[in-house]
Amino acid sequence: MSSQPSPPPIHSPTPSAILRSLLQADLTVQLRTGRALLLTFFPPVAVLYGLSAGKRRAQLGGPVVDVALALTLGIALIAILGYTASVARDREMGVFQRLRVTPAPTWTIMVSRLAVQIVSMLAMSVVVLVAAAIIVNVTLDPAAYLRTLLAVIFSSAVFLGVGQALVGLIKSSDTVNAVGRLSFLPLVALGLFAHSAIFGTTFETISRWSPGGAVATLLAGAMQPATWSGDTWLAFLESIVYAVVFAGIGIRWFQWSAH
Amino acid sequence: MRAYQARASCKVRSSVAVSGQSAERGLALQVEGLRVSYGPKLAVDGVSIDINEGEIFGLLGPNGAGKTSTLSAIEGLVKPDAGSIRIGDVDARANPSAAKARMGVQLQSTSFQANLTVREIVRLYAGLYGVPVTRAGIDDQLANVHLGEEASKRFSQLSGGQQKRVSLLIATIQSPPLVLLDEPTAGLDPQARRQLWDRIERLRDIGRSILLTTHSMEEAQAVCHRVAIIDNGKLITVDTPAGLIEKHKADPRVLKVAHGQVTLEDVFIGLTGSDLRD
Repeated sequence: MSSQPSPPPIHSPTPSAILRSLLQADLTVQLRTGRALLLTFFPPVAVLYGLSAGKRRAQLGGPVVDVALALTLGIALIAILGYTASVARDREMGVFQRLRVTPAPTWTIMVSRLAVQIVSMLAMSVVVLVAAAIIVNVTLDPAAYLRTLLAVIFSSAVFLGVGQALVGLIKSSDTVNAVGRLSFLPLVALGLFAHSAIFGTTFETISRWSPGGAVATLLAGAMQPATWSGDTWLAFLESIVYAVVFAGIGIRWFQWSAH
Repeated sequence: MRAYQARASCKVRSSVAVSGQSAERGLALQVEGLRVSYGPKLAVDGVSIDINEGEIFGLLGPNGAGKTSTLSAIEGLVKPDAGSIRIGDVDARANPSAAKARMGVQLQSTSFQANLTVREIVRLYAGLYGVPVTRAGIDDQLANVHLGEEASKRFSQLSGGQQKRVSLLIATIQSPPLVLLDEPTAGLDPQARRQLWDRIERLRDIGRSILLTTHSMEEAQAVCHRVAIIDNGKLITVDTPAGLIEKHKADPRVLKVAHGQVTLEDVFIGLTGSDLRD
């Protein structure tokens, strides 16, 4: 055997240094993923434009609700389609297992992934709010913009929780993608009618209680504090419950390996 | 056959002890009474292994014998039902993060983030081990493993041999005292395999301890100081490759499968049986 001296002592890196490295890598991956960028910016702005041009615009709740709905769609797309796809794919490829044999605590691996998604959501929100000023003439005071961005961060917990539940309950990346698309209708599209009696009040109530409806109501309330009401508080509480339940399911049953 | 098999002055402390000679050097890895199960299936059943500093230790076994499960428990990927694992003087079960900092790992099938370049992958893993690196430093390290021109390529664009070299580079990026290699040469052509053996030997030459799993008897004989054969989750025997042949050459099960002079493969098949595994 070798007569070489022992290797130098090894020091465990700090969690903050680990998190910095993971964030840098995950952000690079996010920026290089064309589909993620497309999902981030294009659909919400397209929906905002479509809603503003529609004849039934007023029936959906007016310009501020249009912006809230576009933001809701953007948050949900990033979380339910983008986040789940990247986690399911990397799990299937063994990326997480490779990271888990390093000194990185597992929470840093997931926090980094989630943080990058939230940054994407904030970037999307800025683009949508700028588009809102141009397309539907919705401008807010600085405090309202700040409240809206904080509400976006809060709302992200709802749909990231949904995404986490999907990857927690389903192992196969193909199935995660398919179920993600299918779940979009009850979870998000239903929320489009949270402020519209276009299909009757019963449907409006159901819509308000959906995750998409709760988030849209909350975002609309953050943009227009004067309209903040009991319904907005209810949406706030609904969002907390949805986030806790879905994230709880996703964390409880999540497995780092697909095999 | 390379010359290492004669180096037998290693302390063996396994469930199948061979010699009781005490090692002068410290232990890089000490596993005792390891048990791992997946539901009702017992994958590792009371495995004990000691690996000395600067030793290359091979774990041989048929598919499903418990090799990867043993490694996974040491790496912290699966939680053992029982047993102790020490990496140097660190209790891996009590302090997994410190233990992981002291070992480098090459998994059986390694994949890195698809959209990162090789240079970015090296930077990421250097950061995870707290190793300060510069771009020039990374490029030097890549050049040392003949990957200088591939620094800007993505991992999926590399050949199998190049991917293995990246994996081995990352497994040793923090100069760990212990390196775990799970079938490091599986799927490689003979040239790439020989190159990887050379790299493994260079690690040994600078004092690293290595635990590797392999299906290749040639590999076990070429690079390992000692070899353990594992089957059905239990260690069957441990010795130097030459010592295993000597010890089991008269075993009727081995003689039954031998064609002429007894080889390590005869010993392996004789002890583990000829039935096909998973």
